[in-house]
Amino acid sequence: MAENIGIRVHNLRKTFQRGRVQACRNVNLRLAEGALMVLLGPSGCGKTTTLRCIAGLEQPDNDDAIWVKGRNITRLQPKDRNLAFVFQDTALFPHLSIRRNISFGLDMHKTYRRAERRRRVNEVAELLHVEDLLERKPHEVSGGQAQRVALGRAIVMEPDAFLLDEPLANLDAALRVEMRTEIKRIQKRLGISTIFVTHDQEEALSLGDVIAVMKDGEVQQVGTSHEIYHHPANFFVATFIGSPPLNCLPCHVQTDNGALNLASRAFQLPLEAAGVASSLRNQGEVMLGIRPELVAIAPERPDTVAARVSLIEPLGSRTIIILEAEGVELRAMVQGETSAREGEAVHLRLDLERAFFFDNAGNRL
Amino acid sequence: MAMYTQRSTLTQKVLGYGGLAVVLLIVLIPYGYIALTAFKPAEEIFDVRWLPRAWSLDAWRYAIEFEQFHVYIYNSMIAGLGAAVLALCVAVPGAYVFGRKQFRGKDVMFYIIVMALLFPFVLLVVPFTILWVKIGLYDTMPGLWLAYQVFIIPFAIWILRAYFAELPPFLEECAMVYGCTAFKAFWRVMLPLAKPIITSLMFLAFLVGWNDFLFSNMLTTGEGPRTASVIIYVSAVGGERVEWDVLMVMTLMAGIPPVLLYIVAQGQFLKTFAVRGH
Repeated sequence: MAENIGIRVHNLRKTFQRGRVQACRNVNLRLAEGALMVLLGPSGCGKTTTLRCIAGLEQPDNDDAIWVKGRNITRLQPKDRNLAFVFQDTALFPHLSIRRNISFGLDMHKTYRRAERRRRVNEVAELLHVEDLLERKPHEVSGGQAQRVALGRAIVMEPDAFLLDEPLANLDAALRVEMRTEIKRIQKRLGISTIFVTHDQEEALSLGDVIAVMKDGEVQQVGTSHEIYHHPANFFVATFIGSPPLNCLPCHVQTDNGALNLASRAFQLPLEAAGVASSLRNQGEVMLGIRPELVAIAPERPDTVAARVSLIEPLGSRTIIILEAEGVELRAMVQGETSAREGEAVHLRLDLERAFFFDNAGNRL
Repeated sequence: MAMYTQRSTLTQKVLGYGGLAVVLLIVLIPYGYIALTAFKPAEEIFDVRWLPRAWSLDAWRYAIEFEQFHVYIYNSMIAGLGAAVLALCVAVPGAYVFGRKQFRGKDVMFYIIVMALLFPFVLLVVPFTILWVKIGLYDTMPGLWLAYQVFIIPFAIWILRAYFAELPPFLEECAMVYGCTAFKAFWRVMLPLAKPIITSLMFLAFLVGWNDFLFSNMLTTGEGPRTASVIIYVSAVGGERVEWDVLMVMTLMAGIPPVLLYIVAQGQFLKTFAVRGH
């Protein structure tokens, strides 16, 4: 098992300003050899610091934090780690041609013969479709091309792992989606373990074999896109992932003649029937989190909620309906179009069986 | 509209070139007169005319054979080169660290260095002379080199620091990931990038040594590494009569090397202002 682990981050702690700022507190990650992991989180959550610790650009506080292919590399110099790092700012060397930029790593390690270097640069240039740019200087290529070159400079090293720090953040939206697909394709083809840092959840969900969601220097949850979206570990993960965002409704659990009810300003719903009662028994205040696609307009019944349509956002393939129930705002999402009209009074069915409940501390119930 | 634009462009051109021509003449007329006077025989010096009646190389012969002026030119050259090399050895690594590294007391140290620029260094000449005599640097070439640094190093660090700071971030880290030590990243990436501005600063530092009068006059004697500018001054004020033709020769000889250097290094200077972009 151990030999299949490409990258292992073990109890990583990193503090700045002599302990006053804790960037990483006990970060643990395991990435299978050849897999792609996305580190996702808001800015300042420690994801970039984690990546920089892996690359050796920052020194972790503990000595056994970073392992690659079963080897402890925590205290090695960056150049001795055989890892390739791609920066958000492409960081191409302005004075070198594209060819020399790509072969920079090979040029620094004198083990490669000239013909070998040339062959590898040409191969990589072809893979990334930059073969026509090789003799140009970095200021003569576009932003997208520059990022390809930066990737090429990483790929040509045939490293033990790729570390990508928001490599697409500076590109425009269309190019970003295109490059995302291309990075995934190349990563699958080369089979090199990759850690990709981003704050963009769509990028994370679409790219990652596994996604690690981070907040305040701690890993909140590690899982596949499906797990992160449908089985969030806590309130933060549930609200951070999802677009349109999760509906959050503060509620309390009531016992009424032995039957459990979920009550809020806007509604009182029986929990027994929804089959979620067991975990909520003995809870007082809870937070209900329900994805917009689990909120639907339905005919009036005892378990529906009265609401008013305040806005409709048609997005083509789906429509977001913004509703208001007793001062609480809710979002519903339906496929295609909706017959609802703005201002109309409607009834909503909440799919409580697939909704999430959190306690005051944000833990999943 | 098109007519208007064209006519305006023509007017602008005429005015522009006219203005430039006036400035150029103001600069060139004295130099032209110096150059022509250097070829006049001694008896024609006070004739108010441009071209000499009889072209003469007497003043040149006198300046080189009698005054040994080429020796002082050589001294100036060594003074300038030494000052430039010494300055860059200190200022380039210093400016790099100030521009791109974080350490405690950085800002305070930088301000102290820049403050040195504000201090009128004329006031330092006397203390320097006393100190140099005491520690054996008086009347030596290294003594001159060192004295010039009071002005050159703060200036060079000030200019270079801004340049290093403006280079794209992450360049060294990127170099380190791809096989460089911290020093090699500086040597292989940052230094080549700063080459144009380093060349410019080297030229300016050279000029400080080449043109200097104050330190050279105070810190050297006639037997020591006295530089050309001091000799020109001595020729102009010393003795009972001024050899104007010889003075003109010396002025020319002292003026030409920097011009040649500038022409050689010109390409680099242009790059100083052109190297930017992503």
